[in-house]
Parts: sequence; structure tokens; C-alpha cells
Amino acid sequence: MKRYLRLYLYFLQFSFSKAMEFRVDFTFRILMDVIYFVVNILLFKVLFLHTDLIGGWTQEQMMVFVGSYLLVDSFNMTVFATNLWWFPSYINKGDLDYYLIRPVSPLFFLSLREFSANSLMNLLMSLAFFIYTLVSYSAPIGMGQLIGFILLLINGFLIYYCIQMLMVLPVFWTHSPRGFIDLFYSLGIAMERPDRIFKGWLRIFFTVVIPFSLIASYPAKYFIEGLDTAALIHVTLVSVTLWLVMLYVWKKALQSYSSASS
Amino acid sequence: MNWWRFVVANEIRKILAFRSDFWVTFLGQTLVLILIARALWQSIFAANNTEVMEGFTLPMMTLYYIIVPIGNKILTGENVGFLAREIYDGSFNRYLVYPISFFQYKTLTYLTHSVFYALQLVLIYLLFNFFTPEGITLNLLANLAAGVSVFIFASYVFCMLAMAIELISLWADNIWSLMVMVRFFVYFLGGSYMPLNFFPDWAEKILNYTPFPYLVSLPIRTTMGLASSSEIQQGLILLLSWAILFHLMAKLLWHKGESRYSGVGI
Repeated sequence: MKRYLRLYLYFLQFSFSKAMEFRVDFTFRILMDVIYFVVNILLFKVLFLHTDLIGGWTQEQMMVFVGSYLLVDSFNMTVFATNLWWFPSYINKGDLDYYLIRPVSPLFFLSLREFSANSLMNLLMSLAFFIYTLVSYSAPIGMGQLIGFILLLINGFLIYYCIQMLMVLPVFWTHSPRGFIDLFYSLGIAMERPDRIFKGWLRIFFTVVIPFSLIASYPAKYFIEGLDTAALIHVTLVSVTLWLVMLYVWKKALQSYSSASS
Repeated sequence: MNWWRFVVANEIRKILAFRSDFWVTFLGQTLVLILIARALWQSIFAANNTEVMEGFTLPMMTLYYIIVPIGNKILTGENVGFLAREIYDGSFNRYLVYPISFFQYKTLTYLTHSVFYALQLVLIYLLFNFFTPEGITLNLLANLAAGVSVFIFASYVFCMLAMAIELISLWADNIWSLMVMVRFFVYFLGGSYMPLNFFPDWAEKILNYTPFPYLVSLPIRTTMGLASSSEIQQGLILLLSWAILFHLMAKLLWHKGESRYSGVGI
């Protein structure tokens, strides 16, 4: 464990010095993230000009939800997204060999090697917005409610990572330039909508099959109105299953990897 | 010389090189975005207990979001950094030895993608309307033809805008994020996230002085038959003006920045 922590610190050092090479891009990226936040907040602000409730939530409750998904998204952009973006090229060019021969878990290495230093500001801003939505929340907040909310959000980070991996891993078989990562980002809009708007099979799809609704909507729901035991068991079961499926597909994918001739 | 035929054929080959990915992504993206948008609006219509909001019924809203994802693809293509990356790594060199200018080459490859996605729009739109009570009428076909034409012209304008911005990479190291910002603006302020009728009046008025509504909202409204012919004409004139402006900006940037390009990357 210590070895992995030390290794991660090296990753951080490397990523920061790399980010500072592209200073203009560094600045633009911060601006880009600000615009992304503003657009997401404005979207719901404009919608609330025409309605009092969306998915059963008021504007104040919706902002807690928006804060939650912005936090998950920025965490992903900072920690995982860059690594998974380049993942297909490692496989298609045979560069994965270099990761497989190292004495550390290749999954750890491939998923965490590049810390996106220019997205760190984004992460801090989303954290600030998230805290702001909680502080300005009018109803009283209990400690258990807050801890449960944060734990469910951490679980949300992992679900987001697993789904993303599952969209990238088919590259081992298809050898396409990006896998289904574009599809992942399109599907990701489901994370940015309250789960209660989904009905019927679409609800099953987003809460069980590709559980985007469990990432931010369920944690926010837990915070706003509480979740019953059945819902908490559901979140746990789906998360564990997803993690196991991802590991299984990863192992199968490695077995089918044919090195540089892929 | 039918050089353009070679360029177009080559681009189509590239688009279809990974067919399974292409179709899964296309169908998945389109279908999922429509379903998510419909679910959101269904909930808003239900919360307000109304059938019409800002002139849109729920079926109209569904139609709107059928056009949006493919319309975005027609407009902005897939190649963020399509020029900046090549300038950065030096592979831009090849355009300097081509028998045609890189402006022509890039515009043609861009428009090939747009036309390809426009065909997908035609397919999906006709398929959707086939199952509606009205079915496919002559009026609908005329609106669709007009809408697709406006979309392709809008994509040409966006291509000029993208070219002007990407040429900034002759001075800056990496401008990927700048292009993403432009996309955010175009999508949100153009009407991809929701019809512009839902924006406050003052915001709509200001937006009319920008190219955004003409890049997204106008082609969608034209396809749906919601735009009057005078609105379309006026929109096309404004799009043409923006195209000329962006083209001149791109030319100027190239003229000023050409000498900075070393040929071995930056």
C-alpha cells in the first residue's frame, strides 16, 4: 500500500511539471471548466423559470444535486479521464506491454498515471460550489445524513470509473481509436438528471444496467429525503457487481491482448 | 481534376473504418439523448400539469431532441483540434505540398462529415415521422430538405469559426480547451440544451446579435417547419455574414502566423 502511495506521489509530481509546459492551455482549461459549471447551473436556473419542480425537487434541492454531479465529474476529469482517454492508443500501438511488465498492478498504473493538474482548479471550484449548496441549504443537516451522503458520493466516483472502463475495454477486441468513450460521455448526461424523471425500463437501465443514476442522484436523494434500506442494498449490490464485472472484463481483455501486433 | 472526389471518398472510408463502433455510438448516442431529454420534459410538463409550454407540446419537444444530437454532429463534426494538433506535431506539412490549399482541403473534409451526418438525420427523422399519425407528407419532406440545407450551411460557418480559432495554435501551444469552450457556447446559447423560447426575452434579444441561434436553433426550427421563409432568408444572410467574417479572420491569422510554422512542430 505504501509503495502505491509513493508511486502516486511520483505521478503527481510528473503531472504537475507536464501541465506547466502548456501554460496557455492550463489557463484555458480553467476557463473552460468555469464555463462548463456556469452552463450546467444556468440550464437548471432557466428551467426553473418555467416550473417549480423537476423530478420532484425544488430549485434549492436541485442545486445540491448539481453540486454533487459537478463534483463527481470534476473528480473524474482530474483523476481518471486523461488516463482512460489515452487507453485505446496504448492497446492499439502495443504500448500496453510497458505497463504489463512493471511490478505494479497494470490497472492501477493505467488508470492513475496521469493526474490532470489543469483540472485540479476545476475540482476545487466544484468542491466550493458543493459546499456552498450545503451551507445555503435551508433545512437542518444531521451528521449521519452528511456522512451517508459523502460515502454514497465516493461510491459514485467508483461507479463512474467502472462504467468508463467498461466503455473503453472493448478496444481490446475492436481496436478502434476511442472505443465507446464518446458513447460514455453521451450516456453520462443521465448522471446529470434526477433519477425520478426516468420511468419503466429506462429507470431499470439507468439504475441497474448502466447505473448512472446511482452516481449523484441517489446520494442527493439520500441527503434530501433519505433512502430506505432496500434502496441502500440496491446501491451496494449494483456497485459491487459492477466492480466485479469490470475486473472480469479487464482480465478477459488482457488475455486477448496480442501486444504490438494488435 | 476531380480531386474533391478522392478527398470525399477517403473521408467516407475513414468514417466507416470502424463500423461496429460507428453504429453503436451513433444509435446509442442518438437514442439515449432523445430518451433522457424526453424523460426530463415529460416530468416538467407533468409538474406544470400543462400540454403546451412556450409553444412546444411534448411530441414537438421530442422531435426537437431527435434533431439536436445529430444536428450537433452535422454542425461541429468530431474533430476538435483537427488543425491545432497537426500544427503542434508538424504533420501540417503535408498540406503545404498538396496541390490544393489547406483551406479548401479542410473545408471539404469537414463538409463530408457534415453531409454524412445529415443523411443520418434524414433517415432518423423519416423513420420517426413514419410512425406518427400524420406520416410522411410532402410538406414534411420540403421542411426536411430546407432544414438539412440550413444545417450544412451552418456547419460551413462553424468550420470557418473552428479554423480561425485553431490557427491561434500557431502562437499558443495547445488550444483544445478553447475549442471545447466554443462548443459549450454554441450548444447552450444556440438552443441544443433547450429551445431558445425558454430563455428570458432579454437574453433571446441579445443572442440574436450573436451567430449562436443561427447555427443551432434556426436549422432545427427550419427542419420542424417552425421557421417562416422570411426568418430563414434573414438567418441565411446573417450566417453568410458570419461565414465571411470568420473566413477573413482565419485568412488573416494564417497570413500573420505562417512564418511562425517551423515544419517540425512547435
